[in-house]
Amino acid sequence: MAGATRSRLIEGETTTTDAVAGVTVGLSAILFALAVGALFEWVSLTGTVAGLPTVTLLGGLLIGLGVAVSLFGLGSWLGYVETDPDASAGLIAGFGAAVPWFVIGGGVVSQTLGLGTGAGVIGGLLVGGVAFAGTAVPREDVGSTVPLGALLAFVGAVFITGTIGPEWIWNLDWEQQASVTAEFLVPVATLFCALYGGWAAAKAYGRFGARGRHMGAYVLVYLNALSIVAFLFILIVFVVVKGLPGLLTGVEVGPGVGPQVFGLFELPVSVPLVMNGVALLNDFQGVLPAIVGTVWLVVGAVLFAVPLGVGAAVFLTEYAERGRFTQAVEVATNGLWSTPSIVFGLFGFAFLIPRFGNQKSLLAGMLTLGFMLLPLVLITSREAMLSVPDEYRDASAALGVSKWQTIRSVVLPAALPGVMTGVILGVGRIAGETAPILLTMAGGTFVPGGQTVNVIGGFEFTGTPPFVANPELLQATSALPYQLYALITAGVGLGSNVADPDGFRWATALVLLVVVLSFYAIGIGARYYFRQRLRHE
Amino acid sequence: MSDSQQTQTQNRTRTETTGNDQPLETTSGETVEEARAEWTEYDFRGNAKMVAEDLDVYYGDDHALKGVSMEIPEESVTALIGPSGCGKSTYLRCLNRMNDRISAARVDGSVQFDGKEIYQDGINLVELRKRVGMVFQSPNPFPKSIRDNISYGPRKHGDIDTGLLARLLGRDDSDAERKLVERALKQAALWDEVHDRLDDNALGLSGGQQQRLCIARCLSVDPEVILMDEPASALDPIATAKIEDLIDDLSEEYTVVIVTHNMQQAARISDQTAVFLTGGELVEYDETDKIFENPESQRVEDYITGKFG
Ligand SMILES: Nc1ncnc2c1ncn2[C@@H]1O[C@H](COP(=O)(O)OP(=O)(O)OP(=O)(O)O)[C@@H](O)[C@H]1O
Ligand SMILES: [Mg+2]
Repeated sequence: MAGATRSRLIEGETTTTDAVAGVTVGLSAILFALAVGALFEWVSLTGTVAGLPTVTLLGGLLIGLGVAVSLFGLGSWLGYVETDPDASAGLIAGFGAAVPWFVIGGGVVSQTLGLGTGAGVIGGLLVGGVAFAGTAVPREDVGSTVPLGALLAFVGAVFITGTIGPEWIWNLDWEQQASVTAEFLVPVATLFCALYGGWAAAKAYGRFGARGRHMGAYVLVYLNALSIVAFLFILIVFVVVKGLPGLLTGVEVGPGVGPQVFGLFELPVSVPLVMNGVALLNDFQGVLPAIVGTVWLVVGAVLFAVPLGVGAAVFLTEYAERGRFTQAVEVATNGLWSTPSIVFGLFGFAFLIPRFGNQKSLLAGMLTLGFMLLPLVLITSREAMLSVPDEYRDASAALGVSKWQTIRSVVLPAALPGVMTGVILGVGRIAGETAPILLTMAGGTFVPGGQTVNVIGGFEFTGTPPFVANPELLQATSALPYQLYALITAGVGLGSNVADPDGFRWATALVLLVVVLSFYAIGIGARYYFRQRLRHE
Repeated sequence: MSDSQQTQTQNRTRTETTGNDQPLETTSGETVEEARAEWTEYDFRGNAKMVAEDLDVYYGDDHALKGVSMEIPEESVTALIGPSGCGKSTYLRCLNRMNDRISAARVDGSVQFDGKEIYQDGINLVELRKRVGMVFQSPNPFPKSIRDNISYGPRKHGDIDTGLLARLLGRDDSDAERKLVERALKQAALWDEVHDRLDDNALGLSGGQQQRLCIARCLSVDPEVILMDEPASALDPIATAKIEDLIDDLSEEYTVVIVTHNMQQAARISDQTAVFLTGGELVEYDETDKIFENPESQRVEDYITGKFG
């Protein structure tokens, strides 16, 4: 191999073989996209794509890909294509090829031939073993193409001949009803075949050897990363598409149609869903009280947890001797972070509520979620402070600056982006919590717009300690995740009040998503700002 | 006393403290203390700014500095030279008690600053370190702007306040800050390179520029003693020359202790030189000319002439 790489130190211009291998990689990408589309039912399996029945098209493409890959490998082996293959494709590739062939062999023997489970396992092992040997034993160019190419061609043939058509279904004889349908099997099988084919084609494109392995790994990693991003994108688009009609119900644009802002002027748009509560005589119902409740909930929890968590982290990293005590605290915080949220909810229900007027209240919800947030803020702040180099502390101490001032002016600013990361992650978790809110804070499912909490306006000064009171904090209110939960499970109060209940739910989900993502955006923005200040602008 | 005798005395000192090797016979009847007295307590003009007596430093079980006694005269430049790992930085850190910050380190002995024992309970470390400043071996600027790096110390000591409250109260020190930053940067020979980007982050400077920034930062709090640990190791000849000029100027008002690996530099800038050798001993301490022209000890001569690292 060392000798072989020598000749390819300088890459020549693109040749026909490169082009062929490139097209093969592209083909597998198309198959991958089609399979994902079919899995999410954007591409109909019973319908047609480009004039061909979908399953037939998939089968044809698979056969084409399999044949092309195999031909490339054989061509390389016979010396028609100049490559630098290793002696073997390796054991891992062998296992990779053996698994699908085992499944196919087992399935064919036990189901198609009807020989039973035992024979199926033996058949599967036989076929898988041959695939393993066929991959691991021959030279790399043949080993990493022919068994996989054959796999692709086989699956393609099954599709194209209609052995597994769009209507295919396999009922499993389990106690529970379960079946494998073509709707599931075809896209998944295509997906895996596309991955295998893409990997083999990329290896061929890199002319096997070290460079080929690189290419193969790249294709797998890219497709993986791509599917994660695609999944997130699909999820968001899905919620937006479903929720938009509900959100836009009754929207008006024009001077003076919206509600007053701070009693100063009237907004020129009116979006009832986010500007109204629920009332009998409303034309359009809305979720304003739940939005405001969620925002205050998160703000309250952050205000409670961040100072406490950062303070504890400062104490643990800068003041406490590292030893049994700090270790115990670490274990305890990690445990607390993994505690299920319903347990926090019960704690709030049993411990906090009796202390705040014996009724569910916004304050109890804030504190419960604050306690949930606390361990994560503590853990991440501690990590962030530990990663601030000791040189900064030394430099500051050598200037005759006291420890506390050093922490405040050097350590904390340097740790701030890390702390922000913790808060961002934590807020993402607590903003969507339903169970603790259910137990500690939520009043009715539908809250009239008049009962939207007004925390700032609710502060009152009193003559007796503690001199401030805020009845608004002690009221039960709603929050978006809870409202959504109630709408879905109980369907409380729907019907005559809301014209399109399903649209209303999706719109609520959309609003929740937007609220959480807004917190997220604020956090990311703040972290970016603090990071910029630490680096060269 | 001949060179060989001196060497043997030194060897004996070492074996006594480590207790590993066989003790060597001394040919002269001198005690270690007498032998040492000849060169440690040389007659310098002026007063001792800092006095270390029988200083031992241990890192865990590692005995890194062995019975060092040394007086540092005020308003002069004292160079510390010696091979890598011989304890120069360790000794330097004893002088402003930075060794306290290393949890493994234990210091025995005494150091006096202006006649006051600094290894006693109740010493104000913040004040001590303000008056005994330090430039570290590797540059360590804060991840802040160049300006903030310089004004950090004075700000924290309350000498400069440009905060909102100060501005509201009409006590804005922006002018004083500007002057202070300019003076410190000029002293450290960095002003010309950075005067038009004082608000840039200091981490964007080159290694040598960062080191000069650290020197400027140390000067900003106006210490009485400046401890420098190889301040010129990352600098080009021009910047080095500027730093040497700076040290020369500083020695009129300040007491400078500088660690260097560069013999010529030590010879050029220092008034007296202390030679540490492997094992953490102070082997010879005398006027610089004497050390470089006619050292007492054979080991020191070997080290200086490059026969022994
Ligand atoms: N933080 C520490 N923990 C443990 N041992 C240390 C520590 N700092 C220094 N030492 C040990 O003390 C001895 C002296 O180290 P020191 O840093 O004082 O040497 P130095 O003379 O400054 O060397 P150099 O010229 O390379 O900077 C070395 O053997 C080193 O291993
Ligand atoms: Mg050193």
